[in-house]
Amino acid sequence: MITPTVVQTLVPAVIQAALTLLVAPLLLGITKRVKARLQYRRGPSLLQPYRDLAKWWAKESVESDAASPLTAAAPAIVLATVVVATLLVPMVAVRAPLDGWGDLLVVVGLMALGRFVLALSALDAGSAFGGMGSSREVAIATLVEPALLLALTGAALAAGSTDLGTIAARGAASGISWYTPALLLAAAAYAIVAVAETGHEPVDNPDTHLELTMIHEGMLLEASGPRLAILMYAAELKLVLVVGLFAAAFLPLGAAVDLTPLALVIAIGAALAKLVGAAIVLGVLDAALAKLRLLALPGLLATASIIAAIGLATRLWLPA
Amino acid sequence: MSIASALGGAADASLLAAVAVLLVLSTVAAIAPRSRANPQALSLSLSALACVGIFGLGVSVIASGTPLLASAGDVLGFALIHVRYDPLGGLFLVVLGVAGAASSVFGIGYTAHGASGDRTAAAYPVFIASLALVFGADDVFAFLFAWEIMALSSAILVVGSRPSADVARAGYLYLALTHLATAALIIAFAILAATAGSTSFGAFGQAAARLPPGARDIVFLLLLLGFGTKAGAIPLHVWLPRAHPVAPSHVSALMSGVMIKAGVYGIVRFGLDLLGPGPEWWGLLVLAIGVASAVLGVLYALMEHDLKRLLAFHSIENIGIILIGVGVAILALGDGATALAAVALTAALFHTLNHALFKSVLFLAAGSIQSAVGSRDLNVLGGLARAMPVTALAFGIGAAAISGLPPLNGFASEWLTFQGLIGAGGDPALSLVARSAVLLTVAGLALTAALAVACFVKATGMSFLALPRSPGAAGARETGRTMGAAMASLAIACIGVGIAAGPVSSVILEVAGELVGSGSHAAATGAVGGIGAVYAAAPLTVLLVAIAGVTWLVGVRRRQTRRTATWTCGIVPEPAFEYTATSYAKLIRLYFGPVLRPVREISVEFHPGTPFARTVRYRGEVSHLIDERLYRPLHRAAIDAAQLVRRLQSGSLQLYLAYAVTALIALLLLAHA
Repeated sequence: MITPTVVQTLVPAVIQAALTLLVAPLLLGITKRVKARLQYRRGPSLLQPYRDLAKWWAKESVESDAASPLTAAAPAIVLATVVVATLLVPMVAVRAPLDGWGDLLVVVGLMALGRFVLALSALDAGSAFGGMGSSREVAIATLVEPALLLALTGAALAAGSTDLGTIAARGAASGISWYTPALLLAAAAYAIVAVAETGHEPVDNPDTHLELTMIHEGMLLEASGPRLAILMYAAELKLVLVVGLFAAAFLPLGAAVDLTPLALVIAIGAALAKLVGAAIVLGVLDAALAKLRLLALPGLLATASIIAAIGLATRLWLPA
Repeated sequence: MSIASALGGAADASLLAAVAVLLVLSTVAAIAPRSRANPQALSLSLSALACVGIFGLGVSVIASGTPLLASAGDVLGFALIHVRYDPLGGLFLVVLGVAGAASSVFGIGYTAHGASGDRTAAAYPVFIASLALVFGADDVFAFLFAWEIMALSSAILVVGSRPSADVARAGYLYLALTHLATAALIIAFAILAATAGSTSFGAFGQAAARLPPGARDIVFLLLLLGFGTKAGAIPLHVWLPRAHPVAPSHVSALMSGVMIKAGVYGIVRFGLDLLGPGPEWWGLLVLAIGVASAVLGVLYALMEHDLKRLLAFHSIENIGIILIGVGVAILALGDGATALAAVALTAALFHTLNHALFKSVLFLAAGSIQSAVGSRDLNVLGGLARAMPVTALAFGIGAAAISGLPPLNGFASEWLTFQGLIGAGGDPALSLVARSAVLLTVAGLALTAALAVACFVKATGMSFLALPRSPGAAGARETGRTMGAAMASLAIACIGVGIAAGPVSSVILEVAGELVGSGSHAAATGAVGGIGAVYAAAPLTVLLVAIAGVTWLVGVRRRQTRRTATWTCGIVPEPAFEYTATSYAKLIRLYFGPVLRPVREISVEFHPGTPFARTVRYRGEVSHLIDERLYRPLHRAAIDAAQLVRRLQSGSLQLYLAYAVTALIALLLLAHA
């Protein structure tokens, strides 16, 4: 016996799960297309990422004979962390599919778990490139994480809870008054670290396998076949996750509060618009910016932390 | 649990007696002359049994909620030792019981390899007994007695195992600092006892309220100095990274997992419970020490490639995380936000338990590596995962837990700590300065967590993955059954406590709530949204495992896989191509250069008259800020002062008599004035 409330929670949950899981590779296609157009190239089809995944999925895997069982297990664990984290973030309705299972700290924790396993598996084959990518990934994460959590704390303080559903609901209900200076500064800080977290210019270059520039790709060099497909898909889904977290905390505009069919249609449109918009912005950044030197990154990412800290200060010290 | 409370205090008292008897037997067994393969096995087995009893005692005290009172050594109607185990003491008994049982079992296999001299074996059960007594001592004498025995027995275990100049120096520094700490404690207790007119801790509570504010502040600072040194909090940590690595691994596990927690116990018991609410700067000071310990501890850990030194620096980091929770609790308590204080204190106590679990498994795994490879230098390990699967898996789980990754236990307590920080940041009861400080701490804790991930990817990867970097690592075999069982049970405990984070934290919340005077469990859970209400560890774990399992089955297991050598641009792969522990941490060394101040020195010697190098020497190191900026100047000042004083000593007897006469006259004048 299905009660209406179960249906009301299940329907948007299923819609969000299906939407996010299916649309992830498309966003990469959009980013690459935008970048190509800005560089006066035609660029690959928007559907190329799907074709790549299908191609890898059909091939055999090659594994280093230095590798431990971790190499085989890592892709599955990495994907699981991203999928679960995505399901914890409300995107369509103001309640996430796994509402109440975890808050923004759990999402950040799951991202760290994925990074831990991936960075470890990159060392498994004993190749210098894997070590390089792994070392860079964890070093940059140490700069990203303080800014990320300070920015999200800004949203949590505004809503009085770390629960993303509560934050999104308060944000969607308060409309324009949601955007205090504190929240805008937090959003700006988040936007900077989001670029680093998804591996785009000016932090990482997703289109290169040169040892001088790569970070995330360096960790995938030893992966092939279905394992490469799983890891690439996890990276594509991570963009959805990072954008979804931004949308829930800082831009809950359009998310369905009461679950009428009309509200749901609007919410799906809004979620899609946010995702596609982010993909376009990343494409523009990729084309417009040069990659920063690795040693220049602390400057950029510390700026994000400081912006977020100023945001918190305005909230505490300025009269409301 | 209901059985324990039904039987009441009588059963607990007899359990306490049984533990004492077991520990005495264990000590006797350690000194009794025998000729067997492993002379310590009997003593360690008895210690393990005693630890099971200690665990049971702790659980029973927490479950019943009523303190267990006992006294021993009645002489002419004057009891020498009063013990009183309340739920807080019970919690620390649980910590001791788990870590102690696992360490003892591990020790059976570990000492069979001849890794630890049996001359010092008797100190081990004495060490466990003293720890158990510290957590229940109810008057000054019992406490200081247990405290000193704890310091001395652990010092014997550190120094006695492998005598060498280095070890002796580490032991000396440890003893010197631990006595400095005890001196601070004695002064603090003297002030309290003089006010209370009693040496019983029960009387200290009311006495603390009668103290003038200035004296209360001094007592607090002295307690912080004494207990902070034992806890290894920065800047009093200098003994810790020197003493922990040289002890046998099952002793390191106990020292790091339990003994430094005696410092935490002291700060909570005396600074929070007995002294009661204090001024704001108490909390801010503890918070600052916590952040400094956490960040600097993990940064210095990253720069280490001796596995046990690395782990020792992580103990400083985790003590920092615990002190962050304690600091928020003191701040909140001072401003009357008892529910928030209960949550922050729960986070600290929960992390205390969790750290004992994962740090013990890590130290034991390091011991397993050392006895299999003969080295704990990360740069000569590698490739151990396939030869030592149990050690690898246990270390990996411990590494993920200490890095604060869900769904393991370390994440749960760090999650609670973050909740306490964010909760305090949004609580109008706290002053603006306090709220700003806790919100900045959010960034510090996040930085710590990210650095811990980096450090444990390094430690795990360099030990267990890729190709072995030395013949020793290539020939390593899995260590014995008892060692494996000890590591495995602790690793399982890390997973279990992580999944059961909700129930476990609500039990600890009861303990913490009673201490800060927030009787209502509901109020405390409501203060931050509620444990279990926004973090459902169990279903989350099930879902994670399910998704990972299906992906693995479909994408990996049922697929064709070819194994071949790693492609290294056409050259035969060699371990020398791999990233080393030093190179892995290089980027972080550069990013945090202002703190770490790395020194790099390259000297090239040429063949005479040619541009060809004969030898190239490289030296790289990281300077330790506290050692150089605090201890070195102190050391120099002490030497200089001694030089000055030396001028008084001419060796001439007349002069000395003149000093004595002058002093006498001065004193007489003073007495008449």
